[in-house]
Amino acid sequence: MSLSKPSTFNIVKKQYAYKLQAYIQVFMSLVFIQMLGILFSFNGVGMSGGGSNTLGVNVHYYSADIVIAFTIVWAIISAIHITTQAYRNDDFVFVTNRLSSNFSNILFLLTASIVGGITAIMSTYVMKVLMYVLGRTEYLSSPIAATEMIIGFGATILYVLLGTAIGYFIGTLVQLNKVFVVLVPGVLIGMIVLGAGSMNGELLQAVFKFIFMESSFALFFIKNVILVTLLFSSSALLSNRLEVR
Amino acid sequence: MILNMDGTKPIYLQISEWLEREILNRNFESDQKIYSQYQLAEMFTINPATAAKGLTLLVEENILYKKRGLGMFVASNAKEIITNKRKNQTLKRLVVEIVMEAERLDVSKEELIQMIRDVKTGEAGE
Amino acid sequence: MNVIDCRGLTKVYGGTKALNNLSFTIEENKITGLIGRNGAGKTTLLKIIAGFMRETSGEVEVFSEKPFNNLFVSANVIYINDQMNFPTALTLKELLNVAATFYENWDHELAMRLFDYFSFHPAQLYNDLSKGMKSTFNMIVGLSARCRLTMFDEPTTGMDAAVRKDFYRALLKDYLAYPRTILLSSHHLNEIEDLLEDILLLKDGKEFLHMPMADLKGWAIGAQGLTANVKEWIQDREVIHLKTIGLDRMYAVVRNDFSEYEKQKAREAGLTFSPVSSSDVCVYLTSKTKGGIDDVFI
Repeated sequence: MSLSKPSTFNIVKKQYAYKLQAYIQVFMSLVFIQMLGILFSFNGVGMSGGGSNTLGVNVHYYSADIVIAFTIVWAIISAIHITTQAYRNDDFVFVTNRLSSNFSNILFLLTASIVGGITAIMSTYVMKVLMYVLGRTEYLSSPIAATEMIIGFGATILYVLLGTAIGYFIGTLVQLNKVFVVLVPGVLIGMIVLGAGSMNGELLQAVFKFIFMESSFALFFIKNVILVTLLFSSSALLSNRLEVR
Repeated sequence: MILNMDGTKPIYLQISEWLEREILNRNFESDQKIYSQYQLAEMFTINPATAAKGLTLLVEENILYKKRGLGMFVASNAKEIITNKRKNQTLKRLVVEIVMEAERLDVSKEELIQMIRDVKTGEAGE
Repeated sequence: MNVIDCRGLTKVYGGTKALNNLSFTIEENKITGLIGRNGAGKTTLLKIIAGFMRETSGEVEVFSEKPFNNLFVSANVIYINDQMNFPTALTLKELLNVAATFYENWDHELAMRLFDYFSFHPAQLYNDLSKGMKSTFNMIVGLSARCRLTMFDEPTTGMDAAVRKDFYRALLKDYLAYPRTILLSSHHLNEIEDLLEDILLLKDGKEFLHMPMADLKGWAIGAQGLTANVKEWIQDREVIHLKTIGLDRMYAVVRNDFSEYEKQKAREAGLTFSPVSSSDVCVYLTSKTKGGIDDVFI
């Protein structure tokens, strides 16, 4: 029996494959939450109506916005979930160090974001089919160009990915010190409630605008990737001294 | 399990005694290869180092001899050595114990000798 | 070659020193028993060696590398304990398949044969197993991984006597075929002592004894006799256990460093000697007081 000399790359690959299998619950909860989103979307996001004496028109707007929002929430919660002790100990049952554990987690979250983003967009089709079957509508329309569609997929995936990065960062903080369980929501709510009219509010709004109100996809892409990288790498750095099992 | 695992007698001593018995019972003849430390470890579920210690003890007493790279072999006069050793040590110690116990129970010398005779001739009746 | 090398290892844990200036080395391919009372620091020590926990001060090297957060150490060390958890989503069969991908020396045939022998079902979930079955499954993983350093921390928790016996035998057989360094911690020293080459006794986070198992057998001796005689005889001696018997008799366990002549004299004074089993020696050495629990009921 010789000593094994593992490479980080090799172990990350193995851990990634292992996590796709072991964290199957993450995908099951995605299915559940998106179905819930579709259900809520049935009311439509907007409605306008008009008519004359003989004709009445009701226009309902349906979109996947609720499903996407739900998916982002799912992304945050799932990411927090896999930073918890039980999940981390699952890594350390087999060969790993903190770096490979974090890397494989990030790869897993990236995969989950892609799956989550694509399915969220696709849920519009599910909705259309359902509505058609249920006979709730006479006319369906939403012609989109292929490029627009790809941008839609890309943007959704990036939002979901950002959600996982934020969740992962929060989860890591909590693992370092339980104080953050109270501190993180406290700060967030405090900023929203107290900062409505003050400087803080403007700051929050500015951050929000900076990320979410970007009209150029290329710029949005770059901003998002930088933010995600920052969040993930600081999580990895912070957890590098964490004791396990 | 033939070994006494109650923890009072070192296992390696029990191993060497067991090997001596094997030799006395002619399960191993002169110049025959005896069990290796690994075979003994397997047989008795003991650490091979303990088994090795038992074997080494017999080598030191010239009951076994080592052939480099081949293992341990039974010395030609192994039985003799074992018999002598047992006469001088084990039997003597047992006799001392018997005599002491007899004294404690007020068994006379004649009575004791008679008891030994009875056992010898197979007429012992409790 | 030394597999484990500790120098002045200290670990502070919740304000107390779980390990206190611990120094020892473990040589390659030996089976060492790690013995100590609950809270003596066994688990902390093993987790530091496995690279899960960080030492507070002092040095520790495993295969000449610092174990904490070390991929090389992680790949060559396996640590099995009774609080181990596996992903809840995977079946037992899937878990073994995953383990096979991680450990280079993994013997899947052995794993499957043990799996069948202990009548596991491939589709079972780890969390549905009883305590003893969990321990048995952990043991299969620990043995089949064939890591150069294999550590079992209370491996037999919950196992019935037959399975414990099977485990010891399986461990020894696999060790004979594939020698490796094994650390075995257990409360049942009398069950594992025959497997051990060395023993490392911990008390209050410190190394108390580290010696070949065979030497421990004769390390202490018990003497019984009239209290006055025993007391005189044990003067200036290292007494590890004392017990009064009846009205005027006493039993004392002391370090066995007497000459035959001294013993003969003691026998003449009416003392009787008896060997002390290794597990009793360990119990006496690690108890807080000389009289053990009896000292509580004065």
